[in-house]
Amino acid sequence: MTVTFQLNGEDCRFDGDPMTPLVDILRQERFLTGTKAVCREGFCGACTVHVDDEAVPSCLKPVGLVQGCAVTTIEGLSFGSQALHPLQANFEAVDAVQCGMCFPGMVMSLSAFVRDNPHASRPEIKAAMAGNICRCTGYERIVDAVADCLDQARKAGQLVGGIHV
Amino acid sequence: MAPSVERSFTAASTLEEAMAARRQGAAVLAGGTWMMRDPRRGVDLPEAVVALHRIPALSKVEIEPDHVVIGAAVTHAVLGRALHGAVGFEGLVAAAENAANPGIRKVATVGGNLCALDFAAADLAPALLVCEAAVELETFEGPKLLGISDFLKDRHALLAEAIVTRIHLRRDLVASAHIRLPLRKAGDYPVAIVSLAVDKDKRCRIAVGSVEPVARRWTALEQAMRAGPAYALDPERTAELALEHNDFQGRGGKEAEGWYRRQVLPPLVKRGVAALLKTGGLA
Repeated sequence: MTVTFQLNGEDCRFDGDPMTPLVDILRQERFLTGTKAVCREGFCGACTVHVDDEAVPSCLKPVGLVQGCAVTTIEGLSFGSQALHPLQANFEAVDAVQCGMCFPGMVMSLSAFVRDNPHASRPEIKAAMAGNICRCTGYERIVDAVADCLDQARKAGQLVGGIHV
Repeated sequence: MAPSVERSFTAASTLEEAMAARRQGAAVLAGGTWMMRDPRRGVDLPEAVVALHRIPALSKVEIEPDHVVIGAAVTHAVLGRALHGAVGFEGLVAAAENAANPGIRKVATVGGNLCALDFAAADLAPALLVCEAAVELETFEGPKLLGISDFLKDRHALLAEAIVTRIHLRRDLVASAHIRLPLRKAGDYPVAIVSLAVDKDKRCRIAVGSVEPVARRWTALEQAMRAGPAYALDPERTAELALEHNDFQGRGGKEAEGWYRRQVLPPLVKRGVAALLKTGGLA
């Protein structure tokens, strides 16, 4: 079966088993290895990508279900020549990244969250991270970085919902 | 990646198309969060699947003054948003908003939650039991409507020849609550789930999920509460009755042993009644 979809803004075509998990196509066919295949059960969040702007686990998404959809991976969030997504810039600024395994998923989950919840409180940020497991347990700095990002956007009078994802 | 497999995949755009695929033996694919883990359970993925996400009528929540209709392909996230603030559905909203994790809730559907036969910890099952939901099925013989208790009991046989299409709810509740006991905040299944609701006649309904293989109403406790001389919702008293009328056979499982699932029920009932008393309809 042929499945076509947009991948990081470009046309993508897959010929094969429509029940193939999206994460396998991203990593093994498209070499987009920022998306991590860790638990493969939807528990860890390391494989999170955006499908039509929703942050979802790609390990449980059969590619047949993304026919006609727009898929964005961590590589597509900001291309090499572009400025980092404000959330990525904040993570870098506060040195929130530890081993890096969970981070692409964290960024994909939280970039959609800050877009949709520009006035989120700290407990709401924590609730939004419930599906992203950090084995380095660096959660507090990540929460700090998200809260800072929202705060900066509010002070700048910018709608965080306008952050490009 | 698995070697190339010849698999039939139908993204149905009408119910008729879905039923035609079903008659040919296709398995129903909803959000995929249960089926995609089949290989990890040692089960092969089905050779033929029919996806329901393109059928518009199954992806809607219709809210009317006296009833609500939920399409089977509605996700937990959409359900939680749609019913947020609707009096009487606090428990169902809590179930939809706290199941699994945010990513799963954007994908996993109401129909999938009710139709995953081996999934004892489905949050929506007890929440819908206390709503006394009716489940609409499209069968090979035509549409069929049955109470959720009967559906859950018989779903193994029913689903061999049917697709769940909609869930119907009356708006006859004044308050409800949904209490779950996971071992962590997310990433595991709850040890036990207690859903409670109070209807317009002030009758309390209680259902339990994850303790036995299939969620069910706690009728022994409901009857004991009604039989009391001065029936009133009191957390301590209800917990005492829950202890006295605990007729559950806890299932074993990697999260917890059966005795523990059973033992936590009275305190969860106590929390549930306390939560009920704080909701708008009863506060």
